[in-house]
Amino acid sequence: MQALELFRSTPRYVAARTLGGRVPGLVAGPLAPLRLVNREEPKPLGEGWARVRTRLGGICGSDLATISGKVSLYFSPLVSMPFVPGHEIVGELLDDVDGLPQGTRVVLEPVLGCAPRGLEPCGACASGATSRCDRITGGHLSPGLQTGYCADTGGGWGSVLVAHRSQLHAVPDRLTDERAVLVEPLACAIHAALRARPEPGDSVLVVGAGTLGLFAVLALRAFTDAGRVLVVAKHPAQQELARRFGASDVVGTGEAISLLRRTTRAYRLAPERGAPYLLGGVGVALDCVGTGSSLALALRTTRAGGRVVLTGMPGPGADLSPVWFRELEVLGAYAAGTEDLPGGRASTFDPAVGLALDAPLDGVVGAVYRLSRWREALDHALGAGRLGTVKVAFDPRVA
Amino acid sequence: MSRPGFVLEVDERTPPLLVHEGEGFRLQRFPMGARVVYPPDSLPAVRDLNAAIRHALLNPHGSEPLPELLRPGMRLTIAFDDISLPLPPMQTPDIRGRIIEHVLELAARAGVDDVRLIVANSLHRRMTPSEIKRAVGERVFRSFWPDALVNHDAEDPDGMTHIGATERGEDVEINRRAAESDLLVYVNINLVPMDGGHKSVPIGLGSYRSLRHHHNVHTMLESRSFMDPPRSALHGSAARMGRLLADHLRIFTIETTLNNDTFPKAFGFLNKREWEWSLADQANMLAAKKANEKAPARIRREVFRRIVSPYGVTGVNAGETEAVHERTLANVHRQQLVEVDGQSDILVLGLPYICPYNVNSVMNPILVQCLGLGYFFNMYLGQPLVRRGGVMILHHPTPWEFHQVHHPSYVDFFDEVLAETTDPTAIEAKFEQQYAQDPWYIHLYRNSYAYHGVHPFYMWYWGAHAMEYLDNNVLFVGGDRRAVRRMGFRAASSFADALEMARDVVGSSPRITYLHSPPLALTEVR
Amino acid sequence: MASLLDDVREVARGWRWGRRGVLPRSAELSSDPPPAKEFPTAWARTPAGRGAREAIQRFVLRPLVWSQTRPSVEGLDHLAGIRPPVMFVSNHASHLDAPLVLCSLPKPWRRRTATAAAADYFFDVWWRGASTALVFNAIPIERAGGGRRSTNTAQALTARGWNLLVFPEGTRSRDGWVGRFRHGAARLCIEHGLPAIPVAIRGAYAAMPRGRSWPRPGRLPVSVRFGPPLAPREGEDFGSFSRRLQVAHARLWDEDRTTWWDSVRREAETSTPPISGPEAARWRRVWEASRPIARKEPSRVWPK
Repeated sequence: MQALELFRSTPRYVAARTLGGRVPGLVAGPLAPLRLVNREEPKPLGEGWARVRTRLGGICGSDLATISGKVSLYFSPLVSMPFVPGHEIVGELLDDVDGLPQGTRVVLEPVLGCAPRGLEPCGACASGATSRCDRITGGHLSPGLQTGYCADTGGGWGSVLVAHRSQLHAVPDRLTDERAVLVEPLACAIHAALRARPEPGDSVLVVGAGTLGLFAVLALRAFTDAGRVLVVAKHPAQQELARRFGASDVVGTGEAISLLRRTTRAYRLAPERGAPYLLGGVGVALDCVGTGSSLALALRTTRAGGRVVLTGMPGPGADLSPVWFRELEVLGAYAAGTEDLPGGRASTFDPAVGLALDAPLDGVVGAVYRLSRWREALDHALGAGRLGTVKVAFDPRVA
Repeated sequence: MSRPGFVLEVDERTPPLLVHEGEGFRLQRFPMGARVVYPPDSLPAVRDLNAAIRHALLNPHGSEPLPELLRPGMRLTIAFDDISLPLPPMQTPDIRGRIIEHVLELAARAGVDDVRLIVANSLHRRMTPSEIKRAVGERVFRSFWPDALVNHDAEDPDGMTHIGATERGEDVEINRRAAESDLLVYVNINLVPMDGGHKSVPIGLGSYRSLRHHHNVHTMLESRSFMDPPRSALHGSAARMGRLLADHLRIFTIETTLNNDTFPKAFGFLNKREWEWSLADQANMLAAKKANEKAPARIRREVFRRIVSPYGVTGVNAGETEAVHERTLANVHRQQLVEVDGQSDILVLGLPYICPYNVNSVMNPILVQCLGLGYFFNMYLGQPLVRRGGVMILHHPTPWEFHQVHHPSYVDFFDEVLAETTDPTAIEAKFEQQYAQDPWYIHLYRNSYAYHGVHPFYMWYWGAHAMEYLDNNVLFVGGDRRAVRRMGFRAASSFADALEMARDVVGSSPRITYLHSPPLALTEVR
Repeated sequence: MASLLDDVREVARGWRWGRRGVLPRSAELSSDPPPAKEFPTAWARTPAGRGAREAIQRFVLRPLVWSQTRPSVEGLDHLAGIRPPVMFVSNHASHLDAPLVLCSLPKPWRRRTATAAAADYFFDVWWRGASTALVFNAIPIERAGGGRRSTNTAQALTARGWNLLVFPEGTRSRDGWVGRFRHGAARLCIEHGLPAIPVAIRGAYAAMPRGRSWPRPGRLPVSVRFGPPLAPREGEDFGSFSRRLQVAHARLWDEDRTTWWDSVRREAETSTPPISGPEAARWRRVWEASRPIARKEPSRVWPK
């Protein structure tokens, strides 16, 4: 089978890390520690495992960060090389497994918690919060926080992978592949919105209008009573979509602080050096970019006692003074798990499937590439915002 | 005897003419037959200014002499015009300081202890200590700063007092200290006919609550022009307020008028007519222009900021406000009025580097708009220099640039309000309240050096009459395209292009008039 | 074995660079309070210091002050016939005062004159202290009084024949008028039998008030007038001497304002105008004091 494989290459890692910011073309080109390989299909790893043929595998921001060496080395013991990336997956079952017949279309909950690893559930897994699993490197699987970071399972950027029954969610027939591949990021966004839990009528800031930011707007509108939702979006297409998804105000990066100040009637102060900040501001901010400056913007514009949610993989270098001085709650929202919803406790994927069915998501998957054209695909994904695209995906079925 | 203003008709013998454009100027050839309006030559200044001031204070119009109004134990307040006058700032000693010294001399002799000096800055930014010192002089500053020499604060809840309402229900709210004084002396500089009279106290010491009755789109559309007080709804409203105030409070108005010596010697050619330039003037002009073009922006700005004008005083009048202002207006007309025969299709203007609201600051696009469509367009008596539906061509680079300390609400106005609409009426309805009551703008107005949150709205209303009259056909030669478009106008790369664009609107053989100003000219169009 | 660096580090733990060491808490009671340190100024009176000062005063300070203001100096004839040491007692409204008095004095007097300067301001940091000591031959005086050591320096100096220039108000005037004289100067005079020479300075406030770092432009006139020496009487207490000094000073001020004859007559009638200024609002006091003083015409020998 064909797959894209991420391998360990210190020189490429260092080069991508230092040059990638300045010459993004290099990341998709010669510097990517990635290669297209023909390798054996992964075998089911025991009871409860099944093979899945990938129909679409999305390219996520964290994948791009991994390739361009921007990820903190904190995660290095949590992956096993070489692996096939891709954790936003819609596919069909090649084997029968516990109540799901062969041929069922499924989406994948990528976290590799205690159940797939064949372990007794840890405390977090027992409560359903699989994303907080503490045994993420143990059991009979190689280390790997998710499918797509583990050497044994394969991933969405290959034609076949294996998945455990606990990871699989069947999707209704009327959900197209293009929408189904968005279920995983939608689930993350719902998880983030529920972690953010704005008070009814509270103003919420969403920094960034990539997939995560846009979906966060959807989730905030669908699952919370947030008042004004203000979105900082760099590119015109993103601004347009943010409005369509329910943002009350959309603004470019440069004018963000003035808009926030005006809408929240805050005071704006300018330190002797560095960017200005607000006294007052939004109740909750979601950083959906994950750079130092996006987090800094969120921290500087959240009112005292407010909440800042790290939705993307956080970047280094934000000044934490406001956290202390404004007594902010800073919390993370990683992947998805089980949520308390009005209808009872359920996997985050259930409402995500619902949202994927109902939300105006047509055209969100803006481009689909075959695996052999992975350099173009990555190049497109790296410039997605500028090019007016939200999501780029691989279709490994076409050679 | 200085020559009156006149209207030149461009012919083969006309040299290229000087046109202001922000922090610079250019020489521009005009099409044959175009008219050029020149202001009258500068009037001779009063020779013994101290004697003139003394005379004015001792022989006021419609009032007892000032010494008779002063007595021990009284509360005396002296208010004076702020940094927005005159333009450019006047060479020291500033006429305000001179007059205040004379008033204080009398007050000291009369044994008045309780004296307060207030900068009548209305909703403008506060003046900095050094600016105040420059305006009032070292001696006054040393004696009063900072306790008894203060900026007016229209947002101080304890510092304002509501006097009442006019017969048309207009609230009159002014500075409490001024209102509760036994005598309020107002010292003004009447640069243009809009200034002074009843505009001084009710507006200079007023609040937003009071100003909104005349600083609005409706009034501005009805002020034709606001440089002609009898035909200005703005001044009508101010006069009603002023008369109400005069019933409550003894006001002694001192008004001064300046001549047209606007530019210092180094820029002397700016005061002259081009065909009268000497060789030295030409060399000067060329050197200044070249040096200016070559200089980095920062230095250029610094050079222009340091220009102080050698204005001479043409008159000092004191006494009852209306009696004084009548004489003041006559003096202003004597210096600025030019008679022009008939309107034209295209009005050409060169906008200088300064307007009332960017002294020691940055002229942002909104202020450029206000200077062109507000001030210069309205420099007429009777009817505008350009016909209804005509085109105005302005020269200014209009950089997208704001002074972050002085104009914080302007930045937001430009980014948020103008991005949505440029229609003054719509803007007034949707945004004015929100900006006027924004706590941060109020905080900056009171404690920093920022214009009030509502001020950019007033700047936009100032141009409302011109926008409506010209149907927004305003062209900026050399303007920043993005900034000009944001304001709903169009930019042209050259004067020739602008004329081409204008011909689409007014036809192929338009009548063109160039208002050669500053120095200032007020046109009376018959 | 500990390296040298470690040793140094270890030693440095008990050392606070440039500051006094910190006492262990339990040692606080048993230790004496730290001795007040007086800024050393003796070096400025060595021959080298005197030479440098003479050069600075003559070639820098005087040309500078005389080019920025128009001083007129009167009454130096009172110095004839008295022997140093004496104490010059002047009012104080401006940083111009010390240079004005010093540069007005004839050279033999000037080179033997020290200036009393506030220890808390002029001798607070070493560079200001050193330059003040060098240029004005200043010695530190505690304004609060009770600085025994500083009067000791002054005593030692007068005992060795040095004149002293003191500003008994203790600070520069805030509104240009003359404040109450403190008694320190009178006490020194009495203890050492020094005659006091009042010096009235007018116009310095108008030329360069508190808060300005350079005289106002325009070469404003300044007047420095020396008065007749005043010696303490037998058994006189310093309170009464101080009062006499003040009266003499007020008379001198009046003399400078009008004429010697008028001032003497008014003194006789005890109607000398107070030099503490009008009893009025602050602005009027400043207003009067900031009025540049009138330049007197040379008196005509024959009336017109």
